[in-house]
Amino acid sequence: MSAWMAAALGLCAGLVPCALVALRARDPFDRLVALEMAAVLVSLALVALAEAMQRPLFLDLALTQALLSFGGGLVFARTMERWL
Amino acid sequence: MIAAALLAIAVAAALIGALGVWLMRDAYQKLHYITLPCSVSSGLMVLAVLLHEPRKAAAGKVAIAALVLFAMNAVVTQATARAIWVRSEGRWPPRHPPPPAPPEARG
Repeated sequence: MSAWMAAALGLCAGLVPCALVALRARDPFDRLVALEMAAVLVSLALVALAEAMQRPLFLDLALTQALLSFGGGLVFARTMERWL
Repeated sequence: MIAAALLAIAVAAALIGALGVWLMRDAYQKLHYITLPCSVSSGLMVLAVLLHEPRKAAAGKVAIAALVLFAMNAVVTQATARAIWVRSEGRWPPRHPPPPAPPEARG
């Protein structure tokens, strides 16, 4: 196993506490913060996977994930501020 | 070897951030821990890719993704904290400064 694959697995392990908070927290804003953290971890894991598999195409996925999670986080925050 | 060490530090920082999101008490405290993977981990991963990757275009993509994460963190964190405040206090900007934290919250 390469260092990049180990890094990807380690970053995916970080999704477990985020999932626990997102599934079990009572405050919806706790869940939103966990979702934002998970989006960041997934972006970094996609970078590590792209390097581990020598697939530069996956770097586009990481960049897209980072950009979409930015918009998604803003939309969730504004929606929960006003309407939920 | 250097790239592996940078990756190990990056993953450790990201895991500390994830544990912080899990263990901290409220959403304001949890928000602070997103900074770790967005700044430390993404920066170290850019350095590791620069050391490891012969194709500079690929390293450029990773640098752009890290820059997006870094900038995104500030904006999304502010928007989320503002949303929490508006939901609890009803308006923005706050009319009065928030009251001091209770002694047990100060540690």
